[in-house]
Amino acid sequence: MTEPVIVTQGLSRHFGSLVAVRDVSLEVHKGEIFGVLGPNGAGKSTTIRMLCGILDPTSGEGRVVGYDIRRDAERVKERIGYMTQRFSLYEDLTVEENLKFYAGIYGVPLGRGAKRVREVLERTGLLGRRGQLAGTLSGGWKQRVALASATIHEPPLLFLDEPTAGVDPVSRREFWEQIHRLAHEGTTVLLTTHYMDEAERCHRLAFIFRGTVLDIGTPDEIVARRRLRGAELESEHAQEAADRLRADSEVDEVAHYGNVLRVVTRNDVAPEIVIARVLTGSLAPRSVRPVRVGVEDAFVSMVRAEADAEAQRAAS
Amino acid sequence: MSLRPFVVAWKELLQLRRDRMTLAMMVALPLLQLLLFGYAINTDVRHMPTIVYDQDRSAESRDFAASMAATGFYDLVGHVSGYAEIEQALRRGDARVALVVPPHYGEKLAAGKPARLQLIIDGSDPQTVASATNTATGMALARSSELMLQKLAASGSAAPFQPIELEPATWYNPEARTTVYVVPGLVGVILTMTMVMLTAMAIARERERGTLEQLIVSPVRPVELVVGKIAPYVIMGYVQMTIVLLAGRWIFHVPFLGSLSLLYAVSFVFIAANLAVGLFFSTVARTQQQAMQMSFFFLLPNILLSGFMFPFEGIPRPAQVLAQALPLTHFMRIVRAIALKSGGFEDVYGELVWLTAILGVLILVSSLRLRKKLL
Repeated sequence: MTEPVIVTQGLSRHFGSLVAVRDVSLEVHKGEIFGVLGPNGAGKSTTIRMLCGILDPTSGEGRVVGYDIRRDAERVKERIGYMTQRFSLYEDLTVEENLKFYAGIYGVPLGRGAKRVREVLERTGLLGRRGQLAGTLSGGWKQRVALASATIHEPPLLFLDEPTAGVDPVSRREFWEQIHRLAHEGTTVLLTTHYMDEAERCHRLAFIFRGTVLDIGTPDEIVARRRLRGAELESEHAQEAADRLRADSEVDEVAHYGNVLRVVTRNDVAPEIVIARVLTGSLAPRSVRPVRVGVEDAFVSMVRAEADAEAQRAAS
Repeated sequence: MSLRPFVVAWKELLQLRRDRMTLAMMVALPLLQLLLFGYAINTDVRHMPTIVYDQDRSAESRDFAASMAATGFYDLVGHVSGYAEIEQALRRGDARVALVVPPHYGEKLAAGKPARLQLIIDGSDPQTVASATNTATGMALARSSELMLQKLAASGSAAPFQPIELEPATWYNPEARTTVYVVPGLVGVILTMTMVMLTAMAIARERERGTLEQLIVSPVRPVELVVGKIAPYVIMGYVQMTIVLLAGRWIFHVPFLGSLSLLYAVSFVFIAANLAVGLFFSTVARTQQQAMQMSFFFLLPNILLSGFMFPFEGIPRPAQVLAQALPLTHFMRIVRAIALKSGGFEDVYGELVWLTAILGVLILVSSLRLRKKLL
């Protein structure tokens, strides 16, 4: 089997006394879409910066596209694409000029560069707008140009840091189509996101919380490992019913959707049983039906459990 | 060799071409400054409004006042009849100088006794004091020796002559025109102003817009980025320099006596030093506005201490030490030596060594900062 595109072993980074990333070990394989989830400040960006070769790890090892991130940072930089949520384009340059610039910076040979620019323009549907100043484009179009710039040199690995933040739903869909096509053609993609529907579209995920990786696996594996089950119920006394349910030790999470409550229970306990036990008399729900538990439930559950454990450690 | 510096320079030129405002500024600024400094800074004090309080009203007193007016330094604007009126005129600015002739001035002179004249000067503008005093003192001395010689001649002693005669000869600027002195120096001031500011802003802009982050992740090396970004501005610096020299020649008839190619060659070190200062600022500033403020802050000591406006010899010792560290101080001497004294390489060699040493230190400091801040 060939070497993974990304492989790290105990990667850590300290900023003074603050530990931003602790002991991260992961492998990402060719053609995979790998999502990194975690709250703001969890260490996602620091991890990406180390993998890009622009930040040295305090300890640990990492190899990206076959090169050591510490010793061969320059080799790594040449072979990756990078795109941030800010879509850092030159607003006073046209779409085509932006692409030409990045082609030049990434050392795409001149003749090949012109061909590549045309290819990328066609593929992303930007051909008609190539003469337009990047600053006058709408959010969705800017995102397309940013992705086109990041892939102009056909990198085997693409880093996307919250690539869909502030983009409308239709553009987000189209963007994900592009990502899947790239992955299908063999590009490896590592991305961070806050949107859980996007997390479900990744091949594999890593959950980062306070610098530590809590879990790695496919979305299904991660959800299954939490041993959560869910149900939806309709109640006229939704607020009171929610308060009662939350007090129960088997209940992981209760969320309001109008008069509908979404209940998630722990340890594979059937939610219907808990609901029947807790909501009696006038609080008895009108209807109960099982629902699928997703990455979002697993994520919330994991972060809560971790925060509770920390609070307990602090108290004792 | 990597093509990346050229790619960066190409991008910078594209942006510059679209940024009409900056482009216009870069051409208009030298012209505006030239006109401003050329016309406004005039240290030759002439035509000072002067009033006379003549208590003698003799032929001799009128004679002295008239010869004062004849120098061109004093314009007689009126007669007054008391110190109160003098005070009022000076306070209101109607006059800068007042000549007081005491009673019996003429009689005393005729009798061969010492006579006194009083000159009152508005000291709120120090520039005028020295000129007003020196000119009048010189006049009084000349008149005194003239009277003395007359007297000696009258008493029948040996052929009278003046024992010491001083013949001043002003070289390099015989008419002592301020513009001749100011315009070559202005080349340095304008280069300092625009080079520092444009470099500082060019990198701060990338940081502000987030494109710097994109560049950091790319394989472009800091030195390639810096060279590529700065090269277009070096060309701009030479354009500005040419504008000032040409306009100075056409508008103010400022001569250029030395070797243009020597000046252009030496200027490269000076321009590079300013770009390094700008680079340093760009590593400190987070926004374009901060970069601009820092550049202005840097400009002030340059204008005041470099010898552009005030003679270097006149500034206090500690300030002289500081001034030696400013690239402009040395460039000021170089540009004047070449333009006005047709100095050759050997004449500016010493200053060039200074300039190169400063450049070396600046490059060292800013590249250390740049490495730390960019990455």
